[in-house]
Order: sequence, then C-alpha cells, then structure tokens
Amino acid sequence: MVRYARGGLPWLAPGIAFLLLIDLFPLAYAVVISLYSWWLVRPSETHLIGLGNYVGLVTDPQVAHDTAVSAVFMAGAVSLELVAGLFLAVVFAQRARVFDLVRPVILLPLFITPVVSGTMWRLMFHPDLGIVNYYLRRIGIAGPPWLSDPGLAMVALILLDAWRTIPFMFLVLHAGIVSQPHEFFEAAMVDGAGAWQTFWHITLPLLRYIMVVAVLIRAMDAFREFDIFYVLTSGGPGTATETIQMLNYRIFGFGRVGLASALSTLTLVLVAAMSLALLRLLARERAA
Amino acid sequence: MKRGVRAAGTALLAAAVLVWTLVPLFWMLSASVKTELQLYLRPPRWFVPPVWDSYRQVLFEVPFAQYFANSLAVAAGTTVGAMGLGALAAYGFSRFAFKGAATIRFLILMTRMVPRIALVVPYFLMMLRLGLLDTYTGLILAYVSFALPFTIWLMIGFFDEVPRDVEEAAFVDGCSRYRAFRDVVLPLAAPGLVVTGIFAFLLSWNEFLFALILSGVHSKTLPVVIAGFNTDVGPLYNEMSAAAVLVMIPTVILTLALQRHVVRGLTLGAVKG
Amino acid sequence: MNIRVRIACMVLAAILIGPVGGAPVAAAPGETISLAFLAGYKEDVLRANISKFEQSTGVHVQIDASPYDDLYKKTLLSLSTSANRYDVLFMDEPWVPALADFLAPLDDVTKQIDLGDFVPSTVAAGRYRGKLYALPVDPNVQLFIYRKDVFQQRGLKVPDTWDDVLRDAQMLNDPAKGVAGIVTTAGSDQQTGLYMLLLMWSYGGDVLDKNDRPSAETPEARRGAGEFVQLLKYAPPSVQSYSFADVNKAVQLGKAVMAIQWASGARPMEDPANSTVAGKLGYALMPKGPAGRDPMRGVWTIGVAAKTSHKDAAAKFVQWITGKEFGTTAALYPATSSAIHSPRVSVLQDPKVDAALPYAPALLANLKIARSRTRVPQWPDIQEALRQAAAKISTGAISVPDGLKELDASLGRIMAK
Repeated sequence: MVRYARGGLPWLAPGIAFLLLIDLFPLAYAVVISLYSWWLVRPSETHLIGLGNYVGLVTDPQVAHDTAVSAVFMAGAVSLELVAGLFLAVVFAQRARVFDLVRPVILLPLFITPVVSGTMWRLMFHPDLGIVNYYLRRIGIAGPPWLSDPGLAMVALILLDAWRTIPFMFLVLHAGIVSQPHEFFEAAMVDGAGAWQTFWHITLPLLRYIMVVAVLIRAMDAFREFDIFYVLTSGGPGTATETIQMLNYRIFGFGRVGLASALSTLTLVLVAAMSLALLRLLARERAA
Repeated sequence: MKRGVRAAGTALLAAAVLVWTLVPLFWMLSASVKTELQLYLRPPRWFVPPVWDSYRQVLFEVPFAQYFANSLAVAAGTTVGAMGLGALAAYGFSRFAFKGAATIRFLILMTRMVPRIALVVPYFLMMLRLGLLDTYTGLILAYVSFALPFTIWLMIGFFDEVPRDVEEAAFVDGCSRYRAFRDVVLPLAAPGLVVTGIFAFLLSWNEFLFALILSGVHSKTLPVVIAGFNTDVGPLYNEMSAAAVLVMIPTVILTLALQRHVVRGLTLGAVKG
Repeated sequence: MNIRVRIACMVLAAILIGPVGGAPVAAAPGETISLAFLAGYKEDVLRANISKFEQSTGVHVQIDASPYDDLYKKTLLSLSTSANRYDVLFMDEPWVPALADFLAPLDDVTKQIDLGDFVPSTVAAGRYRGKLYALPVDPNVQLFIYRKDVFQQRGLKVPDTWDDVLRDAQMLNDPAKGVAGIVTTAGSDQQTGLYMLLLMWSYGGDVLDKNDRPSAETPEARRGAGEFVQLLKYAPPSVQSYSFADVNKAVQLGKAVMAIQWASGARPMEDPANSTVAGKLGYALMPKGPAGRDPMRGVWTIGVAAKTSHKDAAAKFVQWITGKEFGTTAALYPATSSAIHSPRVSVLQDPKVDAALPYAPALLANLKIARSRTRVPQWPDIQEALRQAAAKISTGAISVPDGLKELDASLGRIMAK
C-alpha cells in the first residue's frame, strides 16, 4: 500500500484543474457581479452598490415565496418517489423473472430528455386535449384544470417528476435489497416472521444507508430542477409554481445581471448549507 | 392458493407499472402522427391511420438534421472529454492513498450539486471573452464539468474492481505505470467505462438550460428545438411530439441495448456511496 | 512523469481545440448575416421564402429562432454585450425602447423605401425618441371577432361598446351546448395581461401615467379590469388555462360566439380544413369604453444591430422582408396557427389578399386607430408584472383592487431600478 502512497496528484491534476477553471471561476465571478447594479439595457449606468442587490432580494416577498415553492416540490416529489420506489423494490425483490421483464421499460423515463417528458405530460394534462381529464370524466369525476390551478399545477409537476425518477429509487433500492445475503430474509421467514415484520425489522434497517444516499441525491436534483418547470408550467399559473431557479432565470432574462448573480450567490449559500447537513448525516449513517 | 394470489398481485402490479410508464409515451407517439383536429377529437383516438405531416414539417421545414448533428457532436465531445479527464482522476483515486483524498473526492461530488442557473450568467460572460459563444466547444466545456464528478465517482468503483495483481504483473514485466494503466487496467475496466460514457452522453444529449442560453445558429441542440415549438401563439403539439419522438430514438436505443449495464452503473454510485 | 503531463495536455487540448463548431462568422463566398427570429409559424413562412432573397442578393441568412421570451433574452444579451451574435433582429415593438441604444438608426435604409405605403401607426412601432430604429414586418392588432350567422339569426347588432359586449355575451352564453358567449384568455398566459390592459385603456386607466409613474390603482383602471373579469363569466369553463392557440381553437370549433384575438390568429379561422366556422365570422372595430376605442397594437419589427459589420447586407434584408413581394407571399401563405401580414396598405388592399383574408379591412381599420403600450425601456419587465397580476385577478385568486395594488407595487420596484 505504501508503494502507492505517492504520485497520485499528477493523475488528479487535469480533472481538478478543469473543475476549478470551469466551475469555480464563474462562481467567484458571480459573487463579484452580485455587488454591482448592472442592467444590460443600460450598461453605461453600471455601478458598485455593495449589498444592495441582496437587501432587495431578502425584502422581496417573491423570493420567499419561490423558496417555499422549491421546498414544497422537493419534499413532495422525493417522499412520493421514496415510498413508491421502496414499495416496488420490496415487491419485485423476490420476483427476479418479473423484474427482468419490467426493467427495460422502467428504465426509459429516467433517460428520456426532460424537455420531452415535460411535453408528454403537458399533452396529458391539457384541459381539452388531455386524456387525464377525459378518463376522469368517464369515471364520473369532473376533471380539474390541472395546470391553471395553483395547487394542482404543483401536483402535476410532482407527478411528472415521480414518473421520471421513481425508476431511480426503485432500481437503487432493488439493488440494495438484492445485494443483501439471502440468509437474512430466510432466517426471518423460518422464525415465522410475517412479510410486514420482515420488512419493518430486517429490510428497512438494512436499506437505511442506501435510502439516505438515494434521498439526498434526489433532493439535491429536485431542488435545482429547471427543465420540467420551464416546459410544463413556466412557473404558472401566475407565479404559483415559480421556483428559485425559475425566478433567477426570469430576472436574468430581463437583463438584471447584478440582481440575478446575487440570487445565484444566495442559492449557492443555501445549497452549501444543505450539503454540509448532508455531510454530517452521511458520516453519522456510516458510523452507525 | 395464497401463492397464486400473490403471483397474481405481482403480475397486476407489474402491469400497472408498465401502463403508468408507457401511456404518456404512447400518447405522445400517437399525437405525432395525428392531425391537429384529430388531437382534439373526443373520445380520444389511440390508434389512427398515421399522418406524417408533423414529421415532414419537423424534418424538412426546420434544419432538423443540422440540430441533430449539433446534439450528436456536443454529446460525443462531452463523452470523450469527461471520460479522458475522469479516467485519469479516477485511477489516481483508486490506486493512490494520500492525505485528504476522501475530502477531495467529496468536494468533487459536491460540485454536482451546484444549481446550474447560478453558473450560467458568469459562464456566458466567460465564453464571450473567450469567443466560444455559440460553438460546440463552449457547450462541451460546460457539459464536461457537469459530467466529470459522477464520471470520476463511477470510474473509481470500476477501477477498484480490477485486481491489483494484474498491474503488479505488468510492473514486473517492466511496464511503466502509464502503460500498465493504458494496456492492462483500461481494457479490464472497459464494460464499466462504456456505462460511464453513456451517462455522460445522455447528460449532454438532454441538457437544456445552458443550451438555451449559450447556443445559437451554429450549435443549437435538440432540447432547445423542442422547446421552440412552444410558440407565442401556443404550443404546436403535433410538431412538438414528432420532434420529441425523434430526439427520443437514440436515448431509447442506448438505454435498451445496454440496460443491464446501465442499471449497474446507476446503482453502483448510490449503493457504494 | 513526462508521459503523465503529456496525457493531461493531450486530453485538454483535445477538448479545447478538437470539436470546434462552425466559426462565429464563416467566411463563405458571399456575405452571411445572422438573424434572431421568432420560433414557430412565422419561422416556417420565412424559411419557405428565404431562398428568394438569398438568390437575388447572394447574401446568406442564418436564422436563429427562439420562443417569445427567450428571443428577448437572447437579443438583449447579444446586443448589450460584445457577443455580437446577430446582425438583424426581429423584435416585438415593446422591446424597441429597451434595445434602441444598441440598434442602428434606419434613416439611410428608409431613403430607399416608400414609407408612404406603410400604415402610419406601424412605422411608429419602430420609432423611439424621434428616431426610427426598426421597420414593421408583421402588423398586428387586436380584433373583435363575432359569429355573423348567430348575430343575424338572433337579430342582434354588432356590439359597439363593452357594455354591449357584456350584454350579448350573457345572452348568447350557453354552457349546456358547450357554446360560450365570448372567448379570450384568462390565467397565466401573457395575453391575459394585455386583454386586461385593453379594457383598462377603454375606461381611461393605464399601468403608467403621463410621467411614467405607476398608476394601476386609479378608479379608471379598476373599472376596466373589473369589466374584464365580468366578461370572463361568459367564457368557456377551462378559459383559465387558455393560451392564444386555445382561443383560436374555441372559435374554430364553433365554441364561442365572440372573441378578442390578435389579427395574426384570424387566418386559420378562415381555413375550412381546420375551422368549422370559416366564412361565418365577422370582424369589427374594437368595442369602445367611456374613454374611447383603443385596439392594442403589437407590430413585429425588424432592426439592425449598431455593431454589425454587415451593414449593407443587413439593409438589403430589411428592405426585402418589409417589401411588397414578401408581404404578399406571407399574407397568402396558408397558415395553420398564426399568420404574417404586411404593414403595407397596397398589400392589405390587394384584391387577391382581400379575397383570401376576409378580415383584412378590419385589420387595416383597427390598425389605423391602434394604441401602443407605453414606450419605456422597462416594458418587458412591466409586461411580466402585468401578466402575473392579470393571472391572479382573472382566476379570482385575488380581488381586482388588491391585484392592482400588487401590480402598482411591482411597477414601483421596476421603475425604481
């Protein structure tokens, strides 16, 4: 082992240098820009305003609203995906043949271009063109105008996200269960434990670490989701489903570069805080 | 008896999963071969004699082939770049122990969490200075940086699986470390590398936000083209569906052809942490 | 060690130099200009005809088409930085004040064009602070559309005031038969904000006053917005999710007796293959309110980047796309979703065009009296604030006075920046 201890750095250097250059430099630049009042329409009026942009953002009710929207989406989507993914993983764990049959299909939503998935679901939820409302009406439910009701638009977004990423949860958790030695489950069965008890006392504790990792990956992805919002609701109705990412894009779109960079920086601080919490949680799980 | 019920339950669930997954896909597919009026017909028609107008419009009235080539070139460039840089770094992590390795590894993974919108403005200005706006290179550089963290992460796992004895044997034969890496380790880890490459490819193929802002006539990629069918007078659903189906084809082929490996790559990252 | 460094360099070099795309300005034989354009139907019409321009001038046109919102972003970003991506720009008229600083005044170009042939209000769309920065390509104005057959059958006169419209809408609204009294948009679509503003104007209100100060909270503005909400009572049940295209669909499928729609949407309504009411529609002057008759103008214009290095080629393109030939071809091009018309009186009064477009006289009449949105560089921001407020007001999420109060506050923030 000692033999290998030196000489690792040259191998890492190109990759790390690349990340520093392409990721870190723009980030640092964004922080600098965020201290300026800079409107692209009037470039000659650009001037340093210190924390002015930040003050404006913190006092803007829209920012608070959009942060809440991001949080609701993250919580709703990830919990739905976890429950559904776990359920499917447990059911299919002992049915290798059925799983092999389902697998190719279930992989598809995961890799289909998000913009394309958004398009599909927009067609389905359309009040007149959509099949969702048509079939709801057939079973006697008056279909609501999905994308124009603030609450339901969020539900639609969560359903779309679930469609795309339940497969991820399912496959990861399935792999987690399958990689456990069979004896655990068999011993439990011999002991006469019911399916529910086996799940609660054996499966769940064994999957804990994997679940935490999977949830964290998904939560971070959900927080920065942009594409499906852009295609399915564009933040609407009004700004009911506008997330921090959408707001940032909107501000940037009007050429308010300083303000947009300040929002980027705030978002980064938020993500860094979440990452730190993540780090702690992972370390604790690993120790356990 | 009980077994029979459970088997039936599982089959039912499997069927439900298939329906849930395939219905949106199929509805879009059918929208792509309908006329606009057929789309509005109630009850909905699932099967219609196909009308290819939407495809004709997408393929011939906009330079779709050019956009397709753009997407392909950018995705290929991203794959090559991410794999090259990623393989080197992953090998470094896999074969050398040094102070702070775990921290660096973690920090690299963290860059994956950065919301991309936060990068897009400064990145735009940076590419502007470098004269790389609306070029493949401008997009590729961004995508490589997105793909690199998980590329490294996955590849570490694949290199770890290559036994060290094999390399040791090569050293004994007088190979340099680089030659051992190139001639012995890489071929052995090849299946895993293919999976990693697919992930990098699809990341680039699917990316929307940066493409929206950085690309122009010379480099516009397909997700932007699809979003473009959402016009100021409302979405052109038929054309949008047709374009979406065309964009989906390579994705579906790649995913289905390599499904076993893809599942492995997908789960490796999370399971091994 | 050396080898390692070499691999690293090679990989980096491969990424940096390897698959470089087309160089930003290709030095092809003949000149190439780059055009920022609107994605979708108008793009199709342009692409179908661009070869005529390219063949006659030898200038190659690269079309970069984007959806509405992204087009403004990309245009602004390109013009205001040194990006210089576009030589020629297709702009919605409210963008002109924001972009004027980066556009080349077109006085030289207009010397070679017969400006007398253009509907005067369309030329005003490209003017800002006394200078002409853009020329009209596609004159658009809101039209009042009604079912001639239904009005005749019921013995009704064509409404002249908003109160007439409200009364007729109530009378003709028949949800049981799936026929609405009137159709427009409500909810998130940006058209909703513009329709609300149209009503506000008719009642004497506006979003900004004469000194460009926020004025959304005046009694006049409130009455106008209130009237708009009243009209929506007799709109189709799912109107809150309607966009421009849905308004068209409702009319084309005979599901509404009256409609307010931009003229660009009228062409497919007269297409028998896609419309069950082709030939049955009447087009009138926009109804008036106590303060007057104010159909909203929304002209698509063409301008040239101040920094372009292809001034002559760009000027040629401007001449061509505003010209009579392209205007006639575009106006006659069979449209499935929306159309490009011509700002030229000679085209709009061409018998061939009038035969194909029964609404051409109404387009011209409304255009002549059309009113423009306030010409301030902040207008794109304002229109977004208006969209948000109108979305909340039209869906009943907020009352008219509260919605306008919020709007006024947003306007204050926008104008202060």
